[in-house]
Amino acid sequence: MKDGFRQSMAWLHTWTGLLVGWVLFAVFLTGTAAYLRPEISYWMRPELALSRPGPHNAAVAVAAMQEIAPASPAWFITLPDARETTTRVFWRDPAARGRGFRSEVLDPDTGRPVAARDTLGGEFFYRFHFQLHYVSVLWGRWIVSICTMFMLVAIVSGVITHRRIFADFFTFRPGKGQRSWLDGHNVCAVLALPYHLMITYTGLVLFMMMVMPWGVGTAYPGDQRAAFNAEAFGNPPQRQRTGSAAPLVPIAPLVQEAQRHWPGSAIGRIVVANPGDSSATIQLVRADSARISNNAQSLTFDGATGALLHASGTDRPAAELRGVMYGLHIGRFAGPLLRALFLLSGLAGTVMVATGCILWAVKQRQQAARQGRIGFGTRLVEHLNIAAIAGLPFAMAAFFWANRLLPSGMAERAAWEVHVFFIAWGLCLLHPLFRPGRRAWAEQLAAGAAGFLLLPALSAVSTGRHLLATLEDGDMVRAGFDLGLLACGVMLAGLCWKVARHRPAPAPSGRTAGQAPARPVADLPQ
Amino acid sequence: MGIALRVLAGAGGGYAVAALFTAALSLGLPMPRAEAVLTATMASFAVYAAAIVWAFAAPGVLRAWAGLAAVAAALALVLFLLQGHLP
Amino acid sequence: MMAFALAYSGFTALCLAMARHHEQILGRRAVTPRRRRLLSGLGFLLLAAALASLVLAEGWGMGTLLWLGLLTTAANLLVLSVCYMPRAAPAISAGFLVLGLVSTLAGA
Repeated sequence: MKDGFRQSMAWLHTWTGLLVGWVLFAVFLTGTAAYLRPEISYWMRPELALSRPGPHNAAVAVAAMQEIAPASPAWFITLPDARETTTRVFWRDPAARGRGFRSEVLDPDTGRPVAARDTLGGEFFYRFHFQLHYVSVLWGRWIVSICTMFMLVAIVSGVITHRRIFADFFTFRPGKGQRSWLDGHNVCAVLALPYHLMITYTGLVLFMMMVMPWGVGTAYPGDQRAAFNAEAFGNPPQRQRTGSAAPLVPIAPLVQEAQRHWPGSAIGRIVVANPGDSSATIQLVRADSARISNNAQSLTFDGATGALLHASGTDRPAAELRGVMYGLHIGRFAGPLLRALFLLSGLAGTVMVATGCILWAVKQRQQAARQGRIGFGTRLVEHLNIAAIAGLPFAMAAFFWANRLLPSGMAERAAWEVHVFFIAWGLCLLHPLFRPGRRAWAEQLAAGAAGFLLLPALSAVSTGRHLLATLEDGDMVRAGFDLGLLACGVMLAGLCWKVARHRPAPAPSGRTAGQAPARPVADLPQ
Repeated sequence: MGIALRVLAGAGGGYAVAALFTAALSLGLPMPRAEAVLTATMASFAVYAAAIVWAFAAPGVLRAWAGLAAVAAALALVLFLLQGHLP
Repeated sequence: MMAFALAYSGFTALCLAMARHHEQILGRRAVTPRRRRLLSGLGFLLLAAALASLVLAEGWGMGTLLWLGLLTTAANLLVLSVCYMPRAAPAISAGFLVLGLVSTLAGA
């Protein structure tokens, strides 16, 4: 029975992994990029100078909102921090399309909309990795959540399948075809296993109330989400609009009081409900870089009198555990070293998914070579592997290119950057139709490599500031980003070189794939 | 055919078990109501994963379905009893 | 840095405790069971020392996270070094330890 169990788990692992592998690859890669969201946003707005958060950011932002959206029922203000150089604001506007929100990116010192090109910046990768694009937000989240559930099952069944998990712990045998792909897959999976489990499970937990609403439904019969949110997360009860006008109190004293509550840590967000009404409330939320847990601590003040109404942040175990899971997933608490480790682990996850998909195709090829014909399924998987794995980096490069090349006054400019990303990706999906497998791999990787390697040069030409100049200015974020782009380019070029250089080896002899040099997918004749 | 039934058992039956588990625990756990909901919901994905593994690991399709159905029935009974106690 | 060095040499010792890699790295055939136990014991001890040093420096939450992250990185590097230049693995490990000691002393 034991072997049967392992076999069925292997089957489960293969299919859960393969069916959604390409989505997972995209989610992993863009999610990894999202760890650098503030840096990407900063690089994509070359007009901005590096600014440090100052003591007046909160007051400036509130004053700005009073001009931009005095009649809005709610403002959500995210203040700048050591990494994020802009103030980001959202506000409710019942007249707005879609979910009824508008947003703006403000200069933290003047409160005016930033004088920069219109772009989504790193926000695009961040949003894409949990709600995709071109589909409604709700659909996107459901799709990603379902794929994440597949991932969880793939991880669990993979661990069960891979019985020699520790015997093979340090083993990587390059240049041996299928064996190498398997080793690579194992190494990436096993060495970062705690990370993979963490990121997958916490990813599910982030949307658990959408995916698994039955607990709230039974414990809070009727429509009592607000009551649950108040009890679970200590959110203050909402106040009804009274209709009588009352000016907002100055925010500076409230900020000072909050800082007395949380010595040494900054205010991350401000939520103002019913501004200008006598029922107004001002909620100050502690910056989430302060603790691992993202179980937000906040203070709520009366907007008309300045009296403290409510201090939230329950430290009850389940709420705190959820906060820790949330915090771990978004990794915003992490310092530079830990963030680098998160990035590496994220890349390991990306490589794990990629090698898994390729491994399947290699295996099918070998079986097909024995039987003498290649099925449609194998071709389809190989095709999608190229488009997803080699194509996505190219599309990301195209996104950055669009950022530098599209005219800054263009209408819908931010949306067009995203369109360019998907057009580039779409081309990568068509391209393998016309080129044999190995050439398609090499050409797409080469295009991606060229895209990344030339970006710093393009950036220098279009913005007039080159790498050495930014280094001299001490703008390490921009300089580091340019160097990172070069590193991505070198990595893709290395992969491309490997694929292109590989000479087809003699056909594998029977079942001794471990000894006979088998062929990696890249050099199989079409 | 067997595979299709197992997929159905894992995805559909597993979700039903996880949902019943969440609902029952949300009411039954001896802690504040909101805490119980959070705990149950956070644990539900582990239950779902386990149910899917069971659906594929069980020696026969019939056993896979029977196991899930038995667990679901037990959870539904618990849920029913707990709801009976609510005012 | 010291923690990373500890993690790296811990993995090196664990790796040496496995017959296949022992042969690959040291070029010697047999590894006696006694030696294997010794090496794996040493390996786990070093990993634990890495955890201890991080927890002392950063507290439980951060310390454990950093430890897991460093384990991943150290093991990845070791896999690559064992794969492409097996003979050098112990030397690299010793080098990291020296670097770790120097940086600890310099920091103190």
